[in-house]
Amino acid sequence: MIKKAQSDKKKNWKHFLLNGVVFLVLIILFDFILGQLLQYYYFKIKSGTQYRTTYAIEKTKADIIIFGSSRAMDHYNPFVFENRYNLSYYNAGRDGENSVLYHYAVLKGILKRYTPKIVILDMMPNEFANTSESYDKLAALSPYYNTHPEMRPILDLRSRTEKIKMLSGTYPFNSTIMNIISGNFGLDDKKYIKGYYAIASSYMITKPLETDDKSKVYQLDSIKVNVLKWFINDCKRANIKLYIVCSPIYTKFIGTDYSIVAAEKIAADNNISFFDFSQESPFLESPKLFYNSLHLNDSGARIFSNMLIDKIFLKENTQ
Amino acid sequence: MLFNSFHFFVFFVIVTTLYFILPHSKRWLLLLASSCYFYMAFVPIYILILGFTIIVDYFAGILIEKSQGRRRKLFLIFSLVANIGVLAVFKYYNFINTNLSFLLQGFGLTNPLPYLAILLPIGLSFHTFQAMSYTIEVYRGNQKAERHFGIYSLYVMFYPQLVAGPIERPQNLLHQFREKHQPDFENFSEGLKLMIWGLFKKLVIADRLAIYVNSVYNNVAEHNGMTLLLATMFFSVQIYCDFSGYSDIAIGAARVMGFRLMINFNRPYFSKNIAEFWRRWHISLSTWFKDYLYISIGGNKVTIHRWYFNLLVVFLVSGLWHGANWTFIIWGCINGLYLVFALVTQGLRNKLNQLTRVKEIPKINASIQVLATYILVCFAWIFFRANNIQDAFTIIKKIFLLKGEIYSESSSMMFYSFAGILFLLLVEFKKEYFNSLFTLSNNNHWLVPKLYYCFLILMILLIGVFDGGQFIYFQF
Repeated sequence: MIKKAQSDKKKNWKHFLLNGVVFLVLIILFDFILGQLLQYYYFKIKSGTQYRTTYAIEKTKADIIIFGSSRAMDHYNPFVFENRYNLSYYNAGRDGENSVLYHYAVLKGILKRYTPKIVILDMMPNEFANTSESYDKLAALSPYYNTHPEMRPILDLRSRTEKIKMLSGTYPFNSTIMNIISGNFGLDDKKYIKGYYAIASSYMITKPLETDDKSKVYQLDSIKVNVLKWFINDCKRANIKLYIVCSPIYTKFIGTDYSIVAAEKIAADNNISFFDFSQESPFLESPKLFYNSLHLNDSGARIFSNMLIDKIFLKENTQ
Repeated sequence: MLFNSFHFFVFFVIVTTLYFILPHSKRWLLLLASSCYFYMAFVPIYILILGFTIIVDYFAGILIEKSQGRRRKLFLIFSLVANIGVLAVFKYYNFINTNLSFLLQGFGLTNPLPYLAILLPIGLSFHTFQAMSYTIEVYRGNQKAERHFGIYSLYVMFYPQLVAGPIERPQNLLHQFREKHQPDFENFSEGLKLMIWGLFKKLVIADRLAIYVNSVYNNVAEHNGMTLLLATMFFSVQIYCDFSGYSDIAIGAARVMGFRLMINFNRPYFSKNIAEFWRRWHISLSTWFKDYLYISIGGNKVTIHRWYFNLLVVFLVSGLWHGANWTFIIWGCINGLYLVFALVTQGLRNKLNQLTRVKEIPKINASIQVLATYILVCFAWIFFRANNIQDAFTIIKKIFLLKGEIYSESSSMMFYSFAGILFLLLVEFKKEYFNSLFTLSNNNHWLVPKLYYCFLILMILLIGVFDGGQFIYFQF
């Protein structure tokens, strides 16, 4: 009786181990195959946001590179920059990526390959706010984790377990399957000009919102502040002219945003030019230059790009 | 510690392995220590509150058992007051205080009571109710008082169901801590399957839908009726997948170690009426209210008007249990009113059925009933999810106007959302109506279930939302 029970127990364990091993092997195998397929098709994307990011990291040799969120993507007109500088241009701004963490990871990828002459970093008010969102949004660069080891230290900031999760073949391509399909079949019809997205329509509101939100004290994220310093150091080391810019916003701030103040100080300490257009006229008086409170339209982008270059030239001539 | 975190994955593997390595006599200690660790991973200090209720109820149980007559009742009341008192201080004090201030303001008076800057301990309502069920059952003589302090603590703190249920009964759970569980292939397999399915529901469906629901419900003024309607329907699926996903992981994690927890959801959106919905939704809470409140105040063995009153009271308390906010109270009242309305109109509806002869086509009749129940449940969910009552009424007004184009942040987001819902619907529809037909999860072929669960895991990796955060019901 006891012997039979022992033998049943052994059988039970054998059964469990065998099934467990088969299941694990199947998962590892399918995960690897799916991961390889996703990687292959991800880097074959021909249009859309992911294509622009891959192009910026792996292909562009432009002299001027713009970094930032959708505001960077919509605010820096390539024709103005190319005509006035007589240099080539690419806009690496990306929708929703309003954190220096993302920009620094992309810069690392670019610097591994070549050195641009000018880098413009567009920053947002609240850029250094202590939120987990900007770390979560690093997920947009997960597909580059295995192919671009230089970006890993930044991407690992997303979570303590990121290194382990990235052992999976599929996980780096989480939530990209639809972009891979639409990008490979040309279903993404958004037209970009060297990464820049021109918006035609105008804002319907006639008076900017007023907010005292910006004057409120909030804790700065020390990691993000340090990453901005690393961004500056890497550009300085590579002899790149770096300009940090806060482009126009159709909102009147009462007080000054803490992140802007911090960035301005870091720029001054490192002898880097900082331009704050967030409260500049004529933008605050001209809703027709905006698409919405955060984004300029193409006319606004042309005027802003010219104003920025004028200011840069003026500053450099007076130095 | 969240079930959908890597931290939990490591914790679960270590605890389960140690559980089977350790001799039976030491297992309770391991489970208790790991449950403490699990709870303290949220806000460590709140374990003291849990400790307080455990000590009170442990001694109350013994004293109730030893006493007779009035003294017996007195000890029960003492235990209930202590438990409800903890809930009142940590969950309802500020709510009552705010409303009192508002009321006094109307008479030109100032409220002298201070506002307490306290965070609600995670899962407080769940473990308080579980603890209360113990003393009530001891009082009723259905359960012997537990003499082993460690085992009793474990009954309240057992980590799989500590923060969001199922709210267990002592008759079902306590004795299981004394049973010697052997590693069993079926338990392992069924437990892990449930955990994977729960994770799928949470990460692939609930957290994906949450992105849309949150962006719409947090900006009610900026969205039109069509968008709000879609967001409400999304929320109905989100909350189901979020909560039933949690329950599945909890039941699965316990099952792997050989424990059987009660089922908490039984495909509630296929209910044909509101009463049935409440027999299928959050079953452990519904039965708790039935066993300890509804029946205690007379249930349906009273006059008809008193019966209606009893139903309304139970659902009002149920709303309040969910949260210290008028939105939850209204949500509870709406559900109570649905039930009363159903009873009041029973005769009228029977006559209508006879006239329309709709009962002669049972499939159509059942479909209409399921759809009508779903619409009623969704209407109530508006109050549950809205940030405040004003928002809830704005949403209802806009939905009835049904104007505008549906807002969509990105087409891929919408695709993932609808794909998740469709998959869930297929699985649940099949289980509800064709359960005896083919099955993938329990197929007799050795490879089919493995491939099915591989598919679920790959879908989690491919389209799951990994930054979604905690489960909705943790806040209760």
